[in-house]
Amino acid sequence: MKERTLSVSVSVIILTLALIIGAVCLPAPAAQAKDNITIGFSMALTGKYSPNAAGQMEAYQLWEELVNKKGGLYIKKYGKKLPVKLVYYDDKSSADTAVRIYEKLLSVDKVDLVLSPCTTVIHFAIAPLAAKYKVPIVGSTAASMKLRKIKNPYFWFVSNAMPDRQMRALVDLLKHLKIKDVAVIYAQELFPREQLEYLEPYLKEGGFNVLLNKDYPVGEKDLTTLLTEIKGKKPEAVIALCYPGGSFTVTAQAQEVGLNPKFLFELIGPAVPVFGPKFGKATEGITMMGEWSIHVTWQGAKEYLEGYRAKFNKNPDVCNSIDGYESCQVLEQAIEKTASLDREKIRDYIANNEFSTIVGPVSFTGSENRKTSSKILQWQNGEIDIVWPLHDATAKILYPKPPWPKK
Amino acid sequence: MDWTRVLQVISAGLIMGGIYALIAVGLNLIYGTMRLLNIAHGEFIMLGAYTTYWLYTLYGVSPIISMFLVVLLAVIMGLVICRLIFLPIIKSSKSVAVLEGNSLLIFFGLSIIFSNVASLLWTADIRGYSYMTRVIQVAGVPLMYNRLIALGISLLICLACFLLIQKTMLGKAIRALIQGREASKLVGINDGFIYYFSFCLAFAMAGIAGCLLSMFYEITPFMGMPYTIIAMIVIVLGGLGNILGSLLGGFFLGLFETIGVSITSPGLRAILTYSLFILVILIRPKGIFGRGVY
Repeated sequence: MKERTLSVSVSVIILTLALIIGAVCLPAPAAQAKDNITIGFSMALTGKYSPNAAGQMEAYQLWEELVNKKGGLYIKKYGKKLPVKLVYYDDKSSADTAVRIYEKLLSVDKVDLVLSPCTTVIHFAIAPLAAKYKVPIVGSTAASMKLRKIKNPYFWFVSNAMPDRQMRALVDLLKHLKIKDVAVIYAQELFPREQLEYLEPYLKEGGFNVLLNKDYPVGEKDLTTLLTEIKGKKPEAVIALCYPGGSFTVTAQAQEVGLNPKFLFELIGPAVPVFGPKFGKATEGITMMGEWSIHVTWQGAKEYLEGYRAKFNKNPDVCNSIDGYESCQVLEQAIEKTASLDREKIRDYIANNEFSTIVGPVSFTGSENRKTSSKILQWQNGEIDIVWPLHDATAKILYPKPPWPKK
Repeated sequence: MDWTRVLQVISAGLIMGGIYALIAVGLNLIYGTMRLLNIAHGEFIMLGAYTTYWLYTLYGVSPIISMFLVVLLAVIMGLVICRLIFLPIIKSSKSVAVLEGNSLLIFFGLSIIFSNVASLLWTADIRGYSYMTRVIQVAGVPLMYNRLIALGISLLICLACFLLIQKTMLGKAIRALIQGREASKLVGINDGFIYYFSFCLAFAMAGIAGCLLSMFYEITPFMGMPYTIIAMIVIVLGGLGNILGSLLGGFFLGLFETIGVSITSPGLRAILTYSLFILVILIRPKGIFGRGVY
C-alpha cells in the first residue's frame, strides 16, 4: 500500500513537472497581425558610462518619435507602415549585463532588430551576438582600432573618430596653422591612449617639438601642477586627450594657472552640453573632436536639431547623440529600402549601400564607416562649428585662440 | 628652487586636503559613535552638489547661501534616516560585528538608491556652473576665487569641528561614547542624542563638501563613490574613531598627494595614495595618530 502511494506521488510530481515544462515549451500562439516594429537595445542608464549615454538615449527616443510621426516604416509583408517601438533595459555600464540583455532581447523578447549600446567596451562585448543571432548591429558610440579587427559580417560602426584618422586630422590642422611646439597630456583610458598611439608618430613625422608628454588618471581633480609645468615650457599648442571630467579640470585650472596657449585641443568634453553654460566666454577658441555642428545642412540635420530642441529643450551634443542618431538613420534607411524586417536582407543592404545621414554620406568598408571624414570642431561665439577638414567646415578656424577672459 | 611653484603645490594640497578632511570627519564620526560604516557618504556629497547647482542655475542663489540650506536639508535627512533605519538596527543588533555588517549593507543599498534616483530625476548628464571664476594672486600664486573660498570655508569648519570636539561638553561626550559605549552610558551620557547629533553633523559636512566641490568640479549622480573611498583611506590613516586624526589625516593626504604628484607624475597618484595606505596599515595599524590620541 505504502509503495503504491509513493508511486502515485512520484507520478503526480512527474506529471506536474511535465505540465510546467510543456507550458514553457509550447509554441507561442501564431503571430498576431503585427502592429509595430520592436527594436531592442541596452543602455548605460546608470553607472560610470551613464553621462556618455544620456545623449545617445535621447537620440534614440527622438528617432522613434520622428519615425512614428511620419507614420512608421513600410513593411511589404504586412502591406502597411508600422510604427517603431523601442524596447530597452539598463545595463548599468556593465558589459556582462549588456550581453545578457541582448541575449534576452533576441531570444525571449524576440525583438525584430536591435540598436547598439553605449561605449566601445560594451560594443566589444555584444559584437559576437550579432553573428550568433545573425542580426545586423550598427554600432554608434564606439571607436577603437580593435573594432576593425572584428571580422563579423553583421556588425558595423558609424563613428568617424577612429584614432588613426582622428589624429591625422588634428596633426594636419596643426601643420596648416604652422604650429611647431606642442605639449600633450592624456588620460589613462583605452580611447585616449589609442589616440596617443597615433598622435606620437604623426607628430614625430611632422617634425613637431613635443615639449611635454604626460599622463594622468581619469577622475584626476587637480592638474594645476601639471598645467603650471606646461606653462613654463610655453608651447604653442596644448593637446589634452581627455574625457569630459578631465576637460572640465583642464579648462578651469588652465585659467587659474594662466596657461594661455594659441591652440587648445581637448579630445572629449568641450562637446558635452553643459560645457558652454559652465565656461561661458572661456570656451572661445577651444577645439575638440566631434562629428557635427548645428550649422551643418546634411540630410535630416535640420529636422533633428528642431526635434531635439523641442523634445529636450536644449541643443544636442555633437558627439554621442549624433553617433546614436546616425546609426538609427542607417537602420531606418535599410528597413525602408528593403521594405522588410528580414535580417539577412537588411544586413546585405547595410553592407553594400550608401546612406545619407545628419553627418553626410555614410558607407562601410568592412565594418568601418570610411566615408565620413574625421573632424575638428571649435567653440566660436558660444556655438560649436566644424573647422577641419576645410571641405566640411562650417566656419573658419579662430587662431590664435583668444586669451582667457578677465572676469 | 621655484618658490611660486612650491606655494602653488602646497595651496593645491591644502584645498584638496580641506575637502578630504570635511568628508572624512563625518564618516569617522558616524563610525566612531555608532559603529556604522556609511558607504553612502559620497551620495550626500552628490546631493549637496545638486542642491547647490539647482538653486544657483534656477534661482541664482549664491552657493555660499545655499550652503545653509544644504545643511538644513542634511540635518533633516540625518534625523529621518537615523530614526527610521539606524536606531532600530542599533537596538536589534546583538554585537558590534553584526551592527557593522548590517550597516554596511544598508548604506550600500542607500548609496545605490540615492545615485539611481538622482540619475532618474536629473538624468546622468554632466552638470556644472560658473561661479567666482576670477583669478587672483596670493603671494604670487594664481588662485581661482572659488577654490580659495572652498579652502577658507573648509578650514573654518574643520577648526569649528576641532573646537567642538576638544573644548565643549558635547565634544567630551562624543569622545567618551567613542571610547566606551557602555561606560559612557553608565556616567549618564545620552547616547540617543549623540547618535542623532553625529548623523546630522556628518551629513551636513558631506553636504557642505558637495556644495564646495560643485563650484569647481563637474556634477553627476555617480560622483560620490570616489569621495567615499578617499574618506575611508583618510580615516584609516588618521585612526578609526579618531576625529582629530581624520582632520589632520585629510590635510595630510591632500598635501601628500599633490606634493607626490608634482615630484613624479599625476599618473602615479593612485599608486602613491595606496602605497601610503598599505604602509600605514603595516607599520601603524591603528592609524598614524592611533585610536587613543584625543
